[in-house]
Amino acid sequence: MKATLEVINQMQADGVIGNYAIGGAVGATFYLEPVATLDIDVFVSLQGGDASPLLSLTPIYDYLTTRGHKTEKEYIIIAAWPVQFLPPGNPLVEEALAQALETDLEGVRTRVMTAEHLTAIALQTGRAKDFARILQFIESGTLDVDKLDGILQRHGLVAKWEQFGDKFKDNL
Amino acid sequence: MSDHMRQILESKRAMRQQLAALPFAEKVKLLEQLRDRTLAIATSPLKRQMTHPG
Repeated sequence: MKATLEVINQMQADGVIGNYAIGGAVGATFYLEPVATLDIDVFVSLQGGDASPLLSLTPIYDYLTTRGHKTEKEYIIIAAWPVQFLPPGNPLVEEALAQALETDLEGVRTRVMTAEHLTAIALQTGRAKDFARILQFIESGTLDVDKLDGILQRHGLVAKWEQFGDKFKDNL
Repeated sequence: MSDHMRQILESKRAMRQQLAALPFAEKVKLLEQLRDRTLAIATSPLKRQMTHPG
């Protein structure tokens, strides 16, 4: 994954993408125990943000494919990892991208979404595996409750959080 | 819940906490191993046989 991040950092240095942050299962692994995943979700702020998401991803695909990286469905394979580039589709993800934590992986700098934003995004997405991840975050004790509360309020997710609590109270 | 089951669950919880506390770089190595294992299972002829019995 180190080599994957080096390619993404170079793409950022070359001005193809703006800020980026790792989300999804790999992002969650920064805080939790590793879980099996086949891909890396990389949320990117794009240059020329007015274009539609599909059009705005084109420079990323062009940049990477001309450097020999293969595409596979919605992924681009970079150093053996299928990477999915995702433009922020809503204000919650935009905020998560802006407030991501800077860290490094074996000397390669990168950015990872905060545990609270990953939890809120999982709640908003709402698939079974997202709910399982929220339970993992709660069990791990890594969440800053006040910070999470602020995010849920800003993005209209309080009612959904209460529903989640009702549904899974026996697991908490 | 029996005591035995309680012990198993507690042991699993402790293992998860131990793994979560590892440095990110070590967790990424585990992720890569998990990914390779998942891919090996997904492409296994045995799995294909079970998925497409006919």
